[in-house]
Amino acid sequence: MKRNSRLGSRLCIGLMFLFLYAPILLLIIFSFNAGDSSAVWKGFSLHWYGQLFRNRLIMESVYTTLLVSLLATAIATVAGTFAAIGLYSLGRRRREALLTVNNIPMMNADIVTGVSLCLFFVAFFQGWGTFARWFNSVQSAVELPDRLVLGFGTLLLAHVTFNIPYVILNVAPKLRQMDRNLMDAAQDLGCTWMQAFWKVMLPEIKPGIVSGALIAFTMSIDDFIISYFTAGSASSTLAMTIYGMTKKRVTPEVNAISTLLFLSVLVLLVLSNVKEVRQEARERLGAARKLTALERARQKFAEPQYLWARRGLAGALACVFIVSVGFLSYATGSRPVVNVCSWGEYIDEELITQFEEATGIRVNYQTAESNEALYSLLKSGGADYDVIVPSDYMIGRLIAEDMLEPLDYGQIPNFSLIDDRFKNLSYDPENRYTVPYTWGTLGIIYNTAVVEEEITSWRALYDDKYAGNVLLINNSRDAIGEALFCLGYSVNTTDEAEIREAFALVADANRRGIFQGRVMDEIFLKMEGGNAAIATYYAGDYLSMVDNQAEGVDLAFVIPEEGSNWFVDAMCMLKDAPHQREAHMWINFIASTEANLANMDYIWYASPNREALERYPAYYEELYGEELDPEVYEIMAAPPETLERCEAYRNLPTETLNLYKNLWTHLGAD
Amino acid sequence: MSKELIRLAGCTMAFDDEVVLDKINLSIQDKEFLTLLGPSGCGKTTTLRIIGGFQTPTSGDVLFDGVRINAVPPHKRTINTVFQKYALFPHLNVYENIAFGLRIPKTNAQGNKVKLPEEEIDHRVLEMLEIVNLRGFEKRRTAQLSGGQQQRVAIARALVNRPKVLLLDEPLGALDLKLRKDMQNELKRIQKAMEITFVYVTHDQEEALAMSDTVVVMDAGRIQQIGSPEDIYNEPRNAFVADFIGESNIIDGIMRADGVVEIFNRRFQCLDGGFAPDEAVDVVIRPEDVDIVPEDQGQLRGTVTSVTFKGMQYDIIVDFYGFKWLIQTTDLSPVGSRIGIKIDPDGIHVMKKSEYSGMFGDYSSYSEEYEEISDAGCVSEEESGDEE
Repeated sequence: MKRNSRLGSRLCIGLMFLFLYAPILLLIIFSFNAGDSSAVWKGFSLHWYGQLFRNRLIMESVYTTLLVSLLATAIATVAGTFAAIGLYSLGRRRREALLTVNNIPMMNADIVTGVSLCLFFVAFFQGWGTFARWFNSVQSAVELPDRLVLGFGTLLLAHVTFNIPYVILNVAPKLRQMDRNLMDAAQDLGCTWMQAFWKVMLPEIKPGIVSGALIAFTMSIDDFIISYFTAGSASSTLAMTIYGMTKKRVTPEVNAISTLLFLSVLVLLVLSNVKEVRQEARERLGAARKLTALERARQKFAEPQYLWARRGLAGALACVFIVSVGFLSYATGSRPVVNVCSWGEYIDEELITQFEEATGIRVNYQTAESNEALYSLLKSGGADYDVIVPSDYMIGRLIAEDMLEPLDYGQIPNFSLIDDRFKNLSYDPENRYTVPYTWGTLGIIYNTAVVEEEITSWRALYDDKYAGNVLLINNSRDAIGEALFCLGYSVNTTDEAEIREAFALVADANRRGIFQGRVMDEIFLKMEGGNAAIATYYAGDYLSMVDNQAEGVDLAFVIPEEGSNWFVDAMCMLKDAPHQREAHMWINFIASTEANLANMDYIWYASPNREALERYPAYYEELYGEELDPEVYEIMAAPPETLERCEAYRNLPTETLNLYKNLWTHLGAD
Repeated sequence: MSKELIRLAGCTMAFDDEVVLDKINLSIQDKEFLTLLGPSGCGKTTTLRIIGGFQTPTSGDVLFDGVRINAVPPHKRTINTVFQKYALFPHLNVYENIAFGLRIPKTNAQGNKVKLPEEEIDHRVLEMLEIVNLRGFEKRRTAQLSGGQQQRVAIARALVNRPKVLLLDEPLGALDLKLRKDMQNELKRIQKAMEITFVYVTHDQEEALAMSDTVVVMDAGRIQQIGSPEDIYNEPRNAFVADFIGESNIIDGIMRADGVVEIFNRRFQCLDGGFAPDEAVDVVIRPEDVDIVPEDQGQLRGTVTSVTFKGMQYDIIVDFYGFKWLIQTTDLSPVGSRIGIKIDPDGIHVMKKSEYSGMFGDYSSYSEEYEEISDAGCVSEEESGDEE
């Protein structure tokens, strides 16, 4: 009996650890995958690690992350330590109250901290702008910048802010343990307060300071949410970049960087724990224990005659630090810049380098996760982008709300290369604001190994035959839009009865258990691995799924006979963009045939550039030495007769958008 | 021996309206051993911290050699302190603890910072180790030392700076009884050898009487009495001092004339005078000053209600007309027996009535009180007058 129960508890512990660590283990394993799927193993390779170090977006954000974490840790450690000391000079009642207040930011949801900091910075910038304009108008000796924006500075301030409580929390117990008379004793023996601090208090509370700094550093490296709200457009931390990269699919590159991140945090954790354990052991054993060689060396180093060496080391570290800060300010400050916000995995990064080399303009390339997220970021006033790449319906909305700057097409000669089909579209009828970036179609992706018939209609999505095998796209506009197509209505209808009828079609199928789930990014993994049979997604993404499909899976793509959605993503310039000349140069560069070919090859979305569209099959053959399958090309760039059947989304009136929102939140609730 | 070194003039200390010290006036002579004695919270540690410079009095002046030093920080005073629980630096060994003060650069007459040469530091540290009998302990960590050894390190660390005054805050509080007695002698010896002023804080009246040249009895932020140990014991000024120093029976009396005091309607001869006719007074009778005689020969008669054997003598409690006295005697009188007592005129001390009258000197609840007294020696609570 007893044996059994022990076995049981061991099993429990084993399972617990399995649940805790299996996902991370899986991630580490797949970071060595030769293929680029996260579901199918294609052999061992270090390819993705190499790729990682060539990825400039990642390398830049690693640099930003390290710099912001180190600086924030250093500042927070000093500030937090002195704050804790200050707390301890107060009376008990006030101290306890303040320590409780100190704990609140740590318990607080990151999202609240992030949003409130963002609000605070934006409000401050507005106040500052008013002051600076007034100040500049009354005198001309000093010109104050009147337009401050979120960036590295605010990111750093935010990190310092959320790190300080952790430092206080770690230093406070050491202060509590310390004999209060020690500081008095040191001063009694001739020290000033500052001397006493260095000679007595610091050695006493050092373990607390070190562990506080380590935790602060880990928190900084780790943070996503607060950074996301305070970094603005110019900086992106590693966590933010990874998040942007996972929006479409988890590439093994993300696995690789996550593995490295996990390992470095692990090392930090182990270091701080080992330190603690060793110290406890030392206290238990006293000095009777023999010192290790390292400790002997350290003790020797602490002797007075090595003062010069210690000072030299500290000086050298300070120099490295200052140089790296200087480098950053040089890199960001002195060169012309253009701030671009696009989507994750939506550009051949080689193009950024080419542009920078050709023009000397630094491209600050950031990503947003969706049109809606971009919109709210812009509305909050926290972003400072020059060029954005929203989708058609969102462009309509931005124009309607006067958030875009008309383009000077004189500076964009390559606009003439854009096919007329993609000019003067409904969202920008006179084509004053936009230069198309890509276009594509939504269609049904299905696994022919499971679905034996050929799918031609949206009805397949709601068919009992495929119950439990269909993935519903988790986006009200697309999901209800598919049903509207199926019923033969316009996707841009504002007729409430039609929309309700379409929703009923989806909701009824949902009740009957047709849908396996509502997903966005998971579509890649599920379809590649053969875990679902039918899904709807964009043509370009279908092609990358085919590339990664597991054995026994055979994916096909169809634009149903009832028609489908086709979309255009176009480059626009934000109202009052600070770098308009550079923005025009960038837009013109991206609109060129070469850039369009490179992008088309990289992201497999169709190009709006007439020449590029025509030349792509030849380009492909030249590049890969094999002919491009005409069928693939047709899926990539739907022929005009298919496009006839398709309809682009338009910006809907508010009441219709609200209806969509209400209906969607009630899906599955009844 | 009579030159004044430190003077506190009208020093008041208040924390958030709570008055901890109330207009203290105190004069400390050069090379004397002065003890601040009183129960927890009486203000003795605060007084010490004012002298050390760790606290600045809310009002009043602190004078050192005739110079006002209210605003002089601790590191600029030629005063060193031995702290409660020693406050040794845990990250330094014995040698470095003692050398700590010597390694701080000092400003010389020309205003330059100068460091003591390493040889002099070494010489002075070893000399101090000699004085406190700790040769050979240089490399030990402080955590490896016994309480008494830590105590000596703390003293050496303070004295190595050659201060004019050494402040000691309950330095023996954490030691056991035997060690405490040894250290008392040790401290006295060091004070004599170094020829400096010691200001000593304790709540242990025996310790105070045994070591001091001058005892300052404090209670509730006020000085109750200043005097030599003999004065304090024999001529307590009020019921508090009488009760706090040694054992006392304190009885209400009426002064009928100079040298005549009436207790329990009986007149006793005494040596005190200078009171108004028929003034109500407190009368102190020490337990050892009472002679037990057969009942019929006694000035007062009572019944023995309790007997405790104390080794050298018996402590017996005797009920006189409902008021219980403590009497120390070498002769056993069993519980329940009737006895008489006689008191010589020099065994009676008459005090003016004070705020403490009626609060002390009744042994009706003897056993509990005894517990309290014997406990007090081991408890070393921090004074409530401290920062918090």
